[in-house]
Amino acid sequence: MAGGSEANVNESRRVVPLNTWVLISKFKIDYKLLRRPDGTFDRHLAEYLDRKVPANANPVGGVFSFDMIINRGTSLQVRIYRPSFEQEPHQLSITDLEKPVDADIVPVIVFFHGGSFAHSSANSAIYDTLCRRLVGICKAIVVSVSYRLAPENRYPCAYDDGWTALEWVSTRSWLRSKIDSKVHIYLAGDSSGGNIVHNVALRAVDSGIEVLGNILLNPMFGGVERTESERRLDGKYFVTLRDRDWYWRAFLPEGADRDHPACNPFGPYGKSLKGINFPKSLVVVAGLDLIQDWQLSYASGLEKYGHKVKLLFLKQATIGFYLLPNNDHFYTLMDEINSFINSDVNSNSE
Amino acid sequence: MKKRDHQDSCSSSYGGDSGGPSSYGKAKVVWEDELDASGGMDELLAVLGYKVRSSDMADVALKLEQLEMVMGQEDGASLSQLQNDTVHYNPSDLSAWVQTMLSEVNAPLTDPAQSLQTDLDFSSLQNYVNAESKQTQLRFSDDSEYDLSAIPGLAAYPPRSPPPPPMQQPEPPPPMQQPEPPPPMQQPEPPRNKRLKTAIGSSSTNPNLPSSSSSSSTVIAAPESTRPVVLVDSQEAGVRLVHTLMACAEAVQQENLKLAEALVKHVGLLALSQAGAMRKVATCFAEALARRIYKIRPQDPLEATYNDILQMHFYETCPYLKFAHFTANQAILEAIGTTNRVHVIDFSLKQGMQWPALMQALALRPGGPPAFRLTGIGPPQPDNTDALQQVGWKLAQLAETIGVKFEFRGYVASSLADLDPAMLDLGSPEMETISVNSVFELHRLLACPGAIEKVLGCIKAMKPKIVTIVEQEASHNGPVFLDRFTESLHYYSSLFDSLEGSGLSPDSEDMMMSEVYLGRQICNVVACEGPDRLERHETLAQWRSRMGSSGFDPVHLGSNAFKQASMLLALFSGGDGYRVEENNGCLMLGWHTRPLIATSAWQLSPTVGNQ
Repeated sequence: MAGGSEANVNESRRVVPLNTWVLISKFKIDYKLLRRPDGTFDRHLAEYLDRKVPANANPVGGVFSFDMIINRGTSLQVRIYRPSFEQEPHQLSITDLEKPVDADIVPVIVFFHGGSFAHSSANSAIYDTLCRRLVGICKAIVVSVSYRLAPENRYPCAYDDGWTALEWVSTRSWLRSKIDSKVHIYLAGDSSGGNIVHNVALRAVDSGIEVLGNILLNPMFGGVERTESERRLDGKYFVTLRDRDWYWRAFLPEGADRDHPACNPFGPYGKSLKGINFPKSLVVVAGLDLIQDWQLSYASGLEKYGHKVKLLFLKQATIGFYLLPNNDHFYTLMDEINSFINSDVNSNSE
Repeated sequence: MKKRDHQDSCSSSYGGDSGGPSSYGKAKVVWEDELDASGGMDELLAVLGYKVRSSDMADVALKLEQLEMVMGQEDGASLSQLQNDTVHYNPSDLSAWVQTMLSEVNAPLTDPAQSLQTDLDFSSLQNYVNAESKQTQLRFSDDSEYDLSAIPGLAAYPPRSPPPPPMQQPEPPPPMQQPEPPPPMQQPEPPRNKRLKTAIGSSSTNPNLPSSSSSSSTVIAAPESTRPVVLVDSQEAGVRLVHTLMACAEAVQQENLKLAEALVKHVGLLALSQAGAMRKVATCFAEALARRIYKIRPQDPLEATYNDILQMHFYETCPYLKFAHFTANQAILEAIGTTNRVHVIDFSLKQGMQWPALMQALALRPGGPPAFRLTGIGPPQPDNTDALQQVGWKLAQLAETIGVKFEFRGYVASSLADLDPAMLDLGSPEMETISVNSVFELHRLLACPGAIEKVLGCIKAMKPKIVTIVEQEASHNGPVFLDRFTESLHYYSSLFDSLEGSGLSPDSEDMMMSEVYLGRQICNVVACEGPDRLERHETLAQWRSRMGSSGFDPVHLGSNAFKQASMLLALFSGGDGYRVEENNGCLMLGWHTRPLIATSAWQLSPTVGNQ
């Protein structure tokens, strides 16, 4: 069913504020321009249209940021966001950027932006803004990863980059919380970023790197089967099955179908998570997201394996609700993320 | 929207705030979801990079709806047309963008033969080759077409061969072939030379270098100063080195020269333990600091020829200059359209490396090339050779081989401020389309009070169709020495880092000369003051402000230029780290996410005339 019929437009207009509708519709149109029917992607136009912001070592709103290349081989770059220091010198010197953290516990959130594996990067304005907000809300340091994008870089590149970032973060002495001289790491991501969170956490199991929690925000999962929510919501709220299929074809190895474990972790080729040391998860599902059935299965799949899951189901939320702070879901989400992370902080410092 | 409780949680001090999660729930942040900090723009969208007036929101939404309808099927004809043929401009302005998109779909396809989108260099060749296929995604595995040396224009000069036979043209031969150029083409050189020899370098030197700038030219502060910093790996020793450099600069700022002296020696030692870019940067900055501390006179700024040579090596090593030329040329091409006569005034001709590519593109213009007139400005030569004429002569040879009518004039000036439009023999706007081009030149005027204003006025008097400006994207002209030092340290670190990524052997002449080239800039920024400090780089935001208030309107460089610039970069080994970014219609080239140079294009504001 084509997404764009008048009924669908009216439907999506009803449930989000006008400026949100404009924003997400703009993305929808942009992205459509970029996806070619033959499976190729107009990367140059994508880079041109994407609104980007530079890092800023001058604190703004109590947060400063800087970029770092953590792997020259793949040009893997991260953007690091920190709360500004209490006594501010005339200008932050380059040596202050990696000043060791000063508190007993500082959560470090490794963030993977969304974009269905093909779009965006850490310096995309929507994600730069989101990460800045996370710093303030969670009193955390955020490390946002510009992983390699599909279709130029297919599975497992994004996961490899995620893993590299995790390793890098875990070995930074300046990120260690004072209480135990360890880096307190949480993984977070939206859409494809949520998918990356799961897969990086999986790789971390038995690696010696402890991940304290996973935050999956509208994570991108799927499968060959068409679920009820997919059929019901196809094209209704900005997203179509057709575009979902395109992105999986662009990310998954050539010839693979959507039951590949990267897409369908609890599907026929999925790995068992029984008895492993997997972090607790916060899974956020938007009630108007057509892939919610997969996301809900993911959450229940984790539970079945005995892992701790908090499911946040936001019935009237669409994709991208967290990009603008102009709706209740946004605040609910931020509260939840904060609780998820800082309940550990509080229990640790008691 | 519902009102929310106030508490700006972002600005609460780190670690010292009122407790945990439950209290946050009460302390919701207030963001104005209505206007109105800046002209009724929706603030939330503005933060995300989109400028839409709140009052236009509904209209924009409607148009987006329409656009979606029209785009229709994923593999339909409308979508295909939009994907392949549309050139985008200023994607931040949603209202304008969606209008343009809608009109693109509604208007019939323009006849490609009349298209003004003349592509430069390899791209035009590429289009020629792939004429039938709609393949806009280029596969870089086919090397032959992207062999840089084979691309005309980027090979700077025609091979040395006997002069070509006289062309079968009705027009008189280009003036370069005659020892005494005919009067309309050129005025006799020597008297002009003498008249214009006002040397900036011979002004009194400044024995006392104050710690802060004494320049009285107005420094236009950027509206919000941003410090984009890109680091590469944190190494303990590297951090110590930077720390020491900063401490030294701070000592200089505080005029504690004894301490500064000790520190600069220490830096020298520490630098030896580093490798690669870090070592070179540290060494350059240490030398510059030493010059400042010991009040060693700056290098002679009149060594113009030497600098030209250095710049040529820099040109070969990394894409910054090529990008500058490329994007400026693209803007010029788009602006001149179907004119019959183009007159480019190049504010610093140097070796004329920018022009072969433009001439090539002009030659390939559908409908035939316009006549191309080039006025190249350059400083007087210490040995009185006529460097400008030599460059003009080489360009004339090239013009002949590719069939472009070409005229050249050299104009010697020690400073652009000495320019007098009346001397340039400009045709009227009906007769020739005038284009003013300045690559890394305008910032030098900021060393002299009143100079930039004079030059901008001069440009306006020329009545150009387009003004192309390329400048370093850096804030190296602030009033506080320490800030300038810090900024330039970051800037040149990124630059040197990108050189390293170029894959050239560190011992190659190109590499070493490029380092000397950059090192001289660093010395100037750090060790010089007053009229000697010429490398007064300012940011795009500052230049925008200046141009805007001087009677110029921006001309946007679009997705076409962006795309081609990106493709050009991909040809460089180490091309991986280079990034092109669009910024409100200007294009910036950076190393990873640190923008390093910015190209902008300008036209006269309609109401200009009150100079």
